[in-house]
Amino acid sequence: MLEIKNLTKVYEDGTVALKNVSFEVADGEFLIVIGLSGSGKSTLLRCINRLIEPTEGQIIWDGVDVTAAEPEELRAIRRQIGMIFQQFNLVKRSSVLNNVLSGRLGYMSPWSSLLYRFSAEDLQRAHQALYRVGIPEQAHKRANELSGGQQQRVGIARALMQEPKIILADEPVASLDPVLAVSILGHLQRLNLEDGISILCSLHYLDLVKIYATRVIGLRDGEIVYRGTREQIRRMTDAEFQEIYGAEAVRISAGLGEGDVPA
Amino acid sequence: MTNNRQNRPETSARPSLVSAPVAALLSLILPGLGQVLAGVWRRGLLLFFSFGSSAGLLAWRIRLAARRENEVVKIFLKAIRLQPFLAALVAAVVVLWLWIAWDARRQVQDRHVGGAGVLVLVLLIFFALGWQITEIDLYKAVTQINEAGPPLAKIIWPWEKAVTQEESYATARAEISTPCMDNPPAPPVEVPGQPYIVVEPTCGVLSESGKPGTVLTVIGHGYAPNTKTVFWWEDPLGREFRIWQMGEYLQVQTDENGAFDAQITMPIIVIPPSAGPGPHIQHLEARQTTSVGAYKPSQELMLAIERMVETIFLGLMATLFGVVLAVPVSFTAARNLMGTSRITLAVYYATRTVLNIIRSIEPLIWAIIATVWVGLGPFAGIIALTLHSIAALGKLYSEAIEGIDPGPIEAIQATGANWLQTIAHAVVPQMIPPFVSFTIYRWDINVRMSTIIGAVGGGGIGFLLIQWIRLLDFRAAGIAVWFIAITVAILDYVSAEIRQRFA
Repeated sequence: MLEIKNLTKVYEDGTVALKNVSFEVADGEFLIVIGLSGSGKSTLLRCINRLIEPTEGQIIWDGVDVTAAEPEELRAIRRQIGMIFQQFNLVKRSSVLNNVLSGRLGYMSPWSSLLYRFSAEDLQRAHQALYRVGIPEQAHKRANELSGGQQQRVGIARALMQEPKIILADEPVASLDPVLAVSILGHLQRLNLEDGISILCSLHYLDLVKIYATRVIGLRDGEIVYRGTREQIRRMTDAEFQEIYGAEAVRISAGLGEGDVPA
Repeated sequence: MTNNRQNRPETSARPSLVSAPVAALLSLILPGLGQVLAGVWRRGLLLFFSFGSSAGLLAWRIRLAARRENEVVKIFLKAIRLQPFLAALVAAVVVLWLWIAWDARRQVQDRHVGGAGVLVLVLLIFFALGWQITEIDLYKAVTQINEAGPPLAKIIWPWEKAVTQEESYATARAEISTPCMDNPPAPPVEVPGQPYIVVEPTCGVLSESGKPGTVLTVIGHGYAPNTKTVFWWEDPLGREFRIWQMGEYLQVQTDENGAFDAQITMPIIVIPPSAGPGPHIQHLEARQTTSVGAYKPSQELMLAIERMVETIFLGLMATLFGVVLAVPVSFTAARNLMGTSRITLAVYYATRTVLNIIRSIEPLIWAIIATVWVGLGPFAGIIALTLHSIAALGKLYSEAIEGIDPGPIEAIQATGANWLQTIAHAVVPQMIPPFVSFTIYRWDINVRMSTIIGAVGGGGIGFLLIQWIRLLDFRAAGIAVWFIAITVAILDYVSAEIRQRFA
């Protein structure tokens, strides 16, 4: 269980990215954060595993205060929190397998990891992860030879190597076309349903949110302006919609109907 | 002079400080001053520097043309007389001067922006001055073109000098007495199988200035067939002279049986009194040099190969040292790594400054300094190239580090990896390809440069090349040039191949 309490982030240049944000992610939830670019979604996700240091507030992960963790402790926490990114953040010139294996670094002894000596078990695990995301045959290609959708699957496989309890997904489909977006979110949903991994995902397509989210929060200018369930999102009024996306926003359908919702 | 910036309102709006005639007068006194005071200071400065530099250069050329004169008027007149071309330049500069004054007046009145014609005039003046200063002489280039032929031909095809054959000498001598005495020397004893010459007569009178001496008939046999034979004269004091006749060294060709005959006028030889009173016994010798045996590589070829190997290793060692030292330096010269605190930022600026200074000093200069330091030889070259490599690679590496994608670093950190693991798995894999490619390229450059470094004493083939060129031994130089060209071509290809692999 992840608890965020009164989280505030002020950047050095004075930009207030998050203002007093509080919410919880219960185990097994698929929580989606919506909001425009610049609303603070990325900052929020990066504050959780302290890729960005929060200015104020607390983050409690399974009863442990992440914000107060010492470096060693922090790494142990990060190991349980998978993360995938909008730009995939793969080492483009390394092989797919190496990229996936790097998800295991938090578990490895420093020496063998510096020498790239992964155990047979980890190799097995990496192939297993690639199999799960549907690209077992791409293991020995260079990461940048893969298409965008495949690269994001490598990103998911890398996160899987951590055996995470939660995955933070920062705009995982913003660089992909809608069909691939559905596929990637489908993979995340499967991990959520089959493995019980909680998902905290930021998105800005409302139509996708309706399909996958179990719960939704809306961010605007660093503040939470909306909280709702999937049911509530489906019935969202234009007023509520404009509360999140601003007065000028218009609903744009990504071309996905209700029929796509899995049972 | 066309300056569109003058159109901008803030510039045009600046009021003139002086009236039109005053501006013109000021520009006559100091070209450009009128424009500056008229409010178009950029134009004024540009005109000032155009006029100043062209007039200054012209004055220098005039002074050079009339070096011995001291009076201004005399200098001027003499220079113009010797190089009438300078008069045209003087006229052009005067036109420029007057135009600037007129333009100052015009600027006050209506802010005219034109002046492309004057720009062309200034460029023409500079072009003419440049032609003179660099001593361009097309006439010489055309009329003396045939001078370039022989050295060029030798450099383009030097391979005659790449091989040698062992040589054997065949020689025989005969005695001649000067002047004749009662019993002239007997012909030499013939040894079967040895070359043999007989001279007729065996005595005579030496030539004196304007008075030819006795003509000797020389008959020889037992020499190698169809080979050139030369003649040497040995006087009673043991001094040897090659026989010179009709404006050239005398030489004959043996026939297919190895025999020859020749007519030799006795040479002019001053016998010093110390040789005692005559008659003196002199010797005539007929010598043959023949190339026998298999061809073998010449000394020049072996030297060139030896030095080429030295050159390649010189470049290799310099690159190796350069890389080893440039890697740590490059980390302190990368802004993304050093921009975190004030101290590291200070280190960053210090490193960058030192690298820029080292890099801006030519390797040739470093080589000269190094030869003073450790003496002539390849080590001096290594020091010079290492210094330059550190500076060049340090900059390239640090730019590669600055250019890495921060995304993977973030992603690896998020997996719970520590700092070293992050470097090993997110930074290093991104850096290796550019590092390898820059390093190979540097090796390529270093080998090419080490050929030049040698010219100032830094070892390698350049040392040899410059020596041979100074001795006017163009064939040997040609061998060195060929080796350099072949090596550079191979390296170029190899380095391109490797770099492509890693791109």
